[in-house]
Amino acid sequence: MTRPRIAITGIGIFCAAGSDVPSFTASLLEGRSAIGPVDLFDVSPFPARIGAQVRDFDPAGHFDRQTAAHLSRADQFALIAAREALEASGIRRHRDPFDIGVCVGAGAAGMIHGEQWLRERVEGKPGHPAQLRGLLPDRAATVLASHFGLHGYQGSITTACSSSATAIGWGADLVATGQLTACLCGGTDTLSLLTFTGFNSLRVVDPAPCSPFSLGRQGISLGEGAAFLVLEREDEARSRGARIFGFIRGYALAGEAYHMTAPEPSGSEAARVMGAALAAAGVSPEEVGWVNAHGTGTPLNDVVESKAMRQVFGERVRQVPLVSTKAMTGHCLGAAGAIEIAATAIALGAGTIPRTLNFRGADPECDLDYCHDGPRPSTAAVALSNSFAFGGNITCVVVSR
Amino acid sequence: MSGQNLDIAVTGLAAISAAGVGTEPLRAAVASGTSRLTPLPEEILGEAGHRWGKAEAFRAADFMPPLKARKFDRCSLLATVAAGMALKDAGIDLAGTDPSRIGIALGCGFGGIANSVELLSGYFSKGVEGLVPMLFPNTVPNAPASNASIEHGLKGPNVTQVQRFCSAEAAFQMACRFLEEGRADVMLTGGVDELNAPMVQGFHAMGQLRRHARGFGEGSGILVLERRRDALRRGAAVRGTVTGIRTLGFVPPDAATEGKARLVGTGTPDIVSLSGTGAELPWLREGLAGDRIEIGPLVGRSLAMGGLALVTLISLMPEGAAGLHLAASPEGPFFAIDIAGGSPG
Repeated sequence: MTRPRIAITGIGIFCAAGSDVPSFTASLLEGRSAIGPVDLFDVSPFPARIGAQVRDFDPAGHFDRQTAAHLSRADQFALIAAREALEASGIRRHRDPFDIGVCVGAGAAGMIHGEQWLRERVEGKPGHPAQLRGLLPDRAATVLASHFGLHGYQGSITTACSSSATAIGWGADLVATGQLTACLCGGTDTLSLLTFTGFNSLRVVDPAPCSPFSLGRQGISLGEGAAFLVLEREDEARSRGARIFGFIRGYALAGEAYHMTAPEPSGSEAARVMGAALAAAGVSPEEVGWVNAHGTGTPLNDVVESKAMRQVFGERVRQVPLVSTKAMTGHCLGAAGAIEIAATAIALGAGTIPRTLNFRGADPECDLDYCHDGPRPSTAAVALSNSFAFGGNITCVVVSR
Repeated sequence: MSGQNLDIAVTGLAAISAAGVGTEPLRAAVASGTSRLTPLPEEILGEAGHRWGKAEAFRAADFMPPLKARKFDRCSLLATVAAGMALKDAGIDLAGTDPSRIGIALGCGFGGIANSVELLSGYFSKGVEGLVPMLFPNTVPNAPASNASIEHGLKGPNVTQVQRFCSAEAAFQMACRFLEEGRADVMLTGGVDELNAPMVQGFHAMGQLRRHARGFGEGSGILVLERRRDALRRGAAVRGTVTGIRTLGFVPPDAATEGKARLVGTGTPDIVSLSGTGAELPWLREGLAGDRIEIGPLVGRSLAMGGLALVTLISLMPEGAAGLHLAASPEGPFFAIDIAGGSPG
């Protein structure tokens, strides 16, 4: 049986690069980086003191006091982005809540609050138990389901930096197989001391704004935010007159079975998953206009991703730009995949290939087209979004306009 | 969510729990109805009277050299060892199988917390000098599934689900779907959780030890799934067949009747397994026919205990028997899994 096409009928984004789809789109198409000083916690002990923090965030602008008090920062971001996606889709006016599900790619969740509890315990204080409320990664899915009254499904994918790409792929599966009529899927994550100290301890954080695929890059810039999509079957979306922002054409996921933190160095495993995603989507490599890279800016990862590109696209590889939007959004970890898939759909719709910001010079090992020189007009109808994660977890998603 | 017309075979089972290492100690605990919970050491909370389901009999050194074991957190050890046991039980020859066709979808409620606490405690105590880099990679909840895939060379789909008390069931559903869609030929699934002092202290602070007074547990329950026709083709012993999965997310009180009708289905099970908080929800448990199995009171409760509960159910089901596994979380989700025992024609 032919798999139905899965339409994106709603997009919502809340991150440092934009507090909604219009502002995020402007940053994306105009090439504005959101990386700057971090003051969410004390970063003074670290050489890298920057990140893509959502600045001046006041929950009171979005929630009443009682609601806000029960939500972690990650839950709040999720609710804001999900509301925009749901309102854009109008899905709740058209479908039974038992047929709409929620699938969240989760990261550190409420760790920023939980670590405050731990700090107080280490200092011999009792710690306030409310700080632990949002600690588990499933909290956002539960909050979204209950807040918006979605009864159909509740799931949280935790595959580190590929979490929300996997959540979107899985959401598309649930809709394509008829288990749900619609799925709100995406991801949310916030800066936390855990990830800030952890990545710094691994010495993979760049003291300057990250510069994917550039000479002299030293690593990532961390970020935070949330992005959600509403997915439906194309025929059902059209039958109710929904606006279609694009399509999730297919995806693939795998474990490299190589190393917890290092990518398989030849790029063959990453290439295998990229190829499998294209095959699942029924898309040939020749149809792909550009690739939204995982593109963290770490010295090794960028080289491996470039190697994988060569294996997938062969002689055509220099005609397929490999673009990293992380120099704009920072690496939003659990939310990264969803933000990048949303960015891919937006850019495809706008007929623009985004720019990879912060170019510092050409790296001979990264010799592809990374759109370092600026955004460019494109007639591409199909793009691939890559997400690579701790554990060797890889998810690649094919998006089309 | 509607039911599915599944035809998935369970061909391998493994369990590590407070009852012991292997499925037999767990079966024995259920058969005798004897709790394997033990007193929680007083020094953890500074008070007596609590119990927990620590997998005391599990020794990593029984399965791998100590130097190798050091790179794993306890949760990853439990998952990796149980995955190996389940593959062996299924008779799967990894050397003769395309690794890209074997995947893992695992529920893991509390994975990574131990390493997160240790990493951050070092930082809070000693600053940057107190950071231990090797702790960071295993702070992610997918570390157990990923470590298991690295150890056993599984290059197929690799996913971890954390979803309240239904974490293992959510992973189980994914594993079945991946097989149905042809994303893999063999899927390992189930759940893993560990217990440690900081977690218990956190539960205590949040009042969870009172709420779940029968004790938290740890362990790993892993199942090997294949499409039934593939299992039969290779002559594998089919321990059970998955015939349906239904799930719901959030169910408000005024929709409980409709929710139960959608969830439980119309079958008449011989055995009902209750996991998570299923046994505490009157709207869910009342009126259910069949013998009841609930392993939580025997080996402790955890977010991914559904893996062990499913292993137990399938281990105990006679050939041809109809089983229903029900799992619930207080605020959702809810899962119902139909299992046919053995290898009915």
